Amino acid sequence: MKKMLCLLLIASTASQVFSQISSVLPVSSSIAGTSVANTGVRSEFQNPAMLGYAEFSEIGIQHENRFALSELSTNSFQTLLSTNAVNADFSFSYFGYSLYHEMMAGLGFGRNFSDKFALGVRFNYYMAYFSASNSYRGALLPQIGLSYRFSSIFSLGFSTFNPFQTNIKTDFTQKRISSIFSLGTEYYFSPELVWLTQIDREISSNYRLATGFEYQILQQISLKLGAYDAGYLVPCVGCEMSWNHFVLNINCELHPLLGVNSFAGLRYVFSR
Amino acid sequence: MNRFAIVVCCLLFLTLNVADAQDASTTIDQTIADIFEQWSEESEQVPDYQTFYEELQFLAENPINLNQTSREELSKMLFLSDIQVENILAYLYQYGPMENIYELQLVEGLDMTDIRRMLPFVVVRKGKTTPDKIYRYDVLNYGKNELYLMFNRDVETRQGYRMIVSTVEDSISRGKNYLGSPWYHSAKYRFHFKDRILAGLTCEKDAGESFFGSAHKGYDSYSGYLQMNRFGIFKTIVLGDFRANFGQGLVMKSDFSMGKSSYVLNVVSRNEGLKKFSSTDEYNYFRGGGATIQLTENWETSFFYSNKMIDADTAGGFFSSIYKTGYHRTENELIKKHTIRQQVAGGNISWRLLWLQTGFTFVHTIFDRALFPEKTTYNRFYFSGKNQNTAGWNYRIHWQKMNFFGEAAVTNNFHPAFLNGFTLSPISLVNLVAVYRYYSPDYDTFYASALSETSRINNESGLYVGAEINPVKKWKISAYADSYRFQWPKYSIDAPSVGKDYLFQTDFAASRRLSMYWRFRHSNKPANILQDSSIMPVIEIVKKNSLRYQLSYSYENFSFKTVAEGNMVQKGGKAGYTYGLTAYQDLTYAFAFLPLKIDFRYQFFDAVAYENRLYAYEKDVLYAFSIPMYYGAGSRYYLNLKYELNRQFSLWFKIAQTVYADDREEIGSGKEKIFGNKITDVKFLLRCNF
Repeated sequence: MKKMLCLLLIASTASQVFSQISSVLPVSSSIAGTSVANTGVRSEFQNPAMLGYAEFSEIGIQHENRFALSELSTNSFQTLLSTNAVNADFSFSYFGYSLYHEMMAGLGFGRNFSDKFALGVRFNYYMAYFSASNSYRGALLPQIGLSYRFSSIFSLGFSTFNPFQTNIKTDFTQKRISSIFSLGTEYYFSPELVWLTQIDREISSNYRLATGFEYQILQQISLKLGAYDAGYLVPCVGCEMSWNHFVLNINCELHPLLGVNSFAGLRYVFSR
Repeated sequence: MNRFAIVVCCLLFLTLNVADAQDASTTIDQTIADIFEQWSEESEQVPDYQTFYEELQFLAENPINLNQTSREELSKMLFLSDIQVENILAYLYQYGPMENIYELQLVEGLDMTDIRRMLPFVVVRKGKTTPDKIYRYDVLNYGKNELYLMFNRDVETRQGYRMIVSTVEDSISRGKNYLGSPWYHSAKYRFHFKDRILAGLTCEKDAGESFFGSAHKGYDSYSGYLQMNRFGIFKTIVLGDFRANFGQGLVMKSDFSMGKSSYVLNVVSRNEGLKKFSSTDEYNYFRGGGATIQLTENWETSFFYSNKMIDADTAGGFFSSIYKTGYHRTENELIKKHTIRQQVAGGNISWRLLWLQTGFTFVHTIFDRALFPEKTTYNRFYFSGKNQNTAGWNYRIHWQKMNFFGEAAVTNNFHPAFLNGFTLSPISLVNLVAVYRYYSPDYDTFYASALSETSRINNESGLYVGAEINPVKKWKISAYADSYRFQWPKYSIDAPSVGKDYLFQTDFAASRRLSMYWRFRHSNKPANILQDSSIMPVIEIVKKNSLRYQLSYSYENFSFKTVAEGNMVQKGGKAGYTYGLTAYQDLTYAFAFLPLKIDFRYQFFDAVAYENRLYAYEKDVLYAFSIPMYYGAGSRYYLNLKYELNRQFSLWFKIAQTVYADDREEIGSGKEKIFGNKITDVKFLLRCNF
């Protein structure tokens, strides 16, 4: 019981100060969550337009942990199918523990139009378990994405998740699901160094401003450094290692109040 | 199955042959929408989009032949500044007729954006393009007919419709609710034979007005016109509903006027004379007839007479104000309908040379009952009585690289209004404008519309300075500064006051497909500060800074627009700043093999204080415009469809929804109140050409 109360306390505190909306959307492998314009990274439930830039089919799993509490973990996986006409993915994520958990499954489609821009849409079905009623409630949450590639070094990305502000109602309570507007840029100083920026606005929360750099120091290794601000500054570091068909991403961020969040993602890219 | 395939094939065949035509019309629609957006988004007064669209659309169908044009004709392209118009005329005078449209690039002061915008509305032809004689056979067989049917309603039920009423008595007893249905409906018929004969009929029923019932027999509002151009000595003849615009607008400008906007050079009204009225505006027009006669090559005179009923509350045998909304939804609103007869007679005489244009305008207005505004401090000098005379003299002089223009006007109480200014183009890359205005507190006339901080042309003096500079290729800098003074208290400003308004915009047109701009605006506006303890009025300056970035990008049949705008407002020197922010993403796609075009927008907004309210122009069905105000926190999205079924029929459909996320449980107030946090609007328009 004591453990439950502690969890509830932390979860409620986190929902107030940790406004990066990660309880519904898994965090991305892009540094500081700057994935909306990152054309080089595929990640679960991120900007669906980025699916369009995938040249090969991929499969990936990822694990995200908040504040070293196993109950506040999100596990997810993604399979991405690359075709000539349109790229498609199926993503699934699971967050929570026995008394409270939520799941989301999404089917996404993205297409790159002559490398000038990419469009994508994902249909997510979100489901949460409510112990008070011992039942699941679900809702369809669309996700729309767009990326303009003005040149080989600069692009702009936009995505929106749950634009219609759909919420879940039970007999006892209403769960508000995040509705997010994201806008970001990607700029390559050189083929090795990319600068990413992003602004997120969850309709009922603070703005989240994020920026990060990803630097490829060796062909197999990239280092990542960034930070985001959502009323408090959170520094982030990470690295990406690729070996044959495998790509491993590890990111960490230090929340000033609640501690460390960690992320690890492993992907397998076919036919590289 | 075979039958289904045949039907699909027939449908595709029907639609394929209009795909090409759609491309052209889509470009024109897009051009007009872009011009209107840029003009209206920083404008203090929302212009009449129906008239704006109709005139430019008409111009697209009857393009100006640059080799046979005049200043008056070129001025119809509202996005061109006076300097640009003069430069085109000077080029034609100096070098003779143009060989092709590409010569526009050689005209000073026209950049590629201007030329692209001009292209749908101009042609280069040699020889006469318009036959002088009109034959009845041609009119009957080659005239174009158009019919528009528009429907619009909110999905959510407003408070005013919650109790169904069937009679006027029911309405009174049940809380004076709306008498009619929540549907807005209008029907328009248009006919034109080239630009020589134009006729039309407009019928409208606003949401809440009854259609057939005890209060109405049919539509609430009817409007019709007939305009004939270039018939013998008659340059223009108008019958029915019309508008009149003379000089700089100090005496007579019943049409929309150029005000402060990001077209910083276009602040001066254009002398358009008499023209048809085809909008659904239920106040700002004349009903009667008029004509413009070309006396000699240089002399021209216009005269008109109007006799119409207007809305006002006439309890007590007089009226205190004119009711201009045109709504007749409740018993209280119906009582005011058509209670006052207004007669307006006027005329203008103009003398034109190549370098000089001058004219005199006179207007006499009569009401059948006296107007007596309820006197308070701010409206002490407003017109009262039954008769008013207004007269004005206007001029425009072109000398070297300068244009001087102005107007002086006076009402029968001998209080004046002046507007004088000049435009200057010292080098081709730089265009400047300066306008000084003085409107006496006692100067108050009914159809004036000119450069002003407020919509009423009185009690104001100010200096406006604007500049447009093309420092390097693809870049343009536009800026204006306006300083004004109210000599006497204004509405919501209980003491004489001063204000300032600045705009700075940088445009970058990287290519035909990619363009962007940054716009900064700062304003210091006086306003009352409500303090219960103070006896004397306390005026504070409301400072507002706003910044907007817009990126437009197109590729093949796709076009995108990304906009981010923020503002910060400080009410009084000691108060803190409040913030407002909005961002939206537009996506437009025109199908290549189907005559279908879709527009989609997703937008969020966050403006907690009313002073931080934000406006964003959005695409709409044909002839409709929408610049919703955003206040609070929430999101908005819409889907707009245009489908050209064949050459005769076109359909538009729009659905838009705003969802508030600031925990509000109701939207609006009074009879317009909606319970809940969502408001959904549906529009449908059908156009038939025959």
